[in-house]
Amino acid sequence: MIENALAQSAIQLILLALVILLIPASWRVVAGPSLPDRLAAVDLITTLLIGIIVMLALVEGTQVFVDMAIALAAFAFVGTISIARYISEGRVY
Amino acid sequence: MLELLGVAALLFGLFFSAVGVIGVIRLPDVLTRLHASGKVAILGLFGLLLGAALLMPSSALRLLTLGLFVLLTSPVATHAIAASVHRRQEIADEIAHESAEDSTPTEETPFAGANVTAVLTRSRIQDIIEAQERALQQRSRDAGHNGGTK
Repeated sequence: MIENALAQSAIQLILLALVILLIPASWRVVAGPSLPDRLAAVDLITTLLIGIIVMLALVEGTQVFVDMAIALAAFAFVGTISIARYISEGRVY
Repeated sequence: MLELLGVAALLFGLFFSAVGVIGVIRLPDVLTRLHASGKVAILGLFGLLLGAALLMPSSALRLLTLGLFVLLTSPVATHAIAASVHRRQEIADEIAHESAEDSTPTEETPFAGANVTAVLTRSRIQDIIEAQERALQQRSRDAGHNGGTK
């Protein structure tokens, strides 16, 4: 936990703003005219989620959340690479 | 003082995340949108990580690991998406080129797309002529046979 009350409320507001930023990114997933658009928007959502998890670790004062962010980054990388290969070549490997 | 620096770095990261998301909404092309989402992945996330490391120094090593991992993987993922955009465009161009070659008019086929149709029509006409000749021979043979008995 952060002891300073002002810093704590600032962190919570930044976390709220990052969660609000998820909404337009999800709109791009739904409305994107082509498949690479949707894939790029999903990648953007994952990046925002990593930031949200780091902010959550700050708010809660727990270090374990950062490990969750590392795991999410790893799986998102593998998923993005394979889906990008699938929508260009028609197969994954 | 350290907390002030940390909150400033967090605000830096939030600013670039908002700019990147606005760019993903507003920009007109796939590749420009990829450019905007790359801003979120590098500048926005690194601002957030720097602020978190300044505010919570005990987890600085994990945050550094996460930062190095994102620094390695995010350009590779963005490049894979851009390469898929390029490859899809190439495939679409090849298909358009092939169909344009099929339908260009030549001397043998005076109008577009007539080549296959002409070959099919010729063989179909030959089939019909041969069937008519076979039917005529059969009928004349039957007629001659019947005429013989009567």
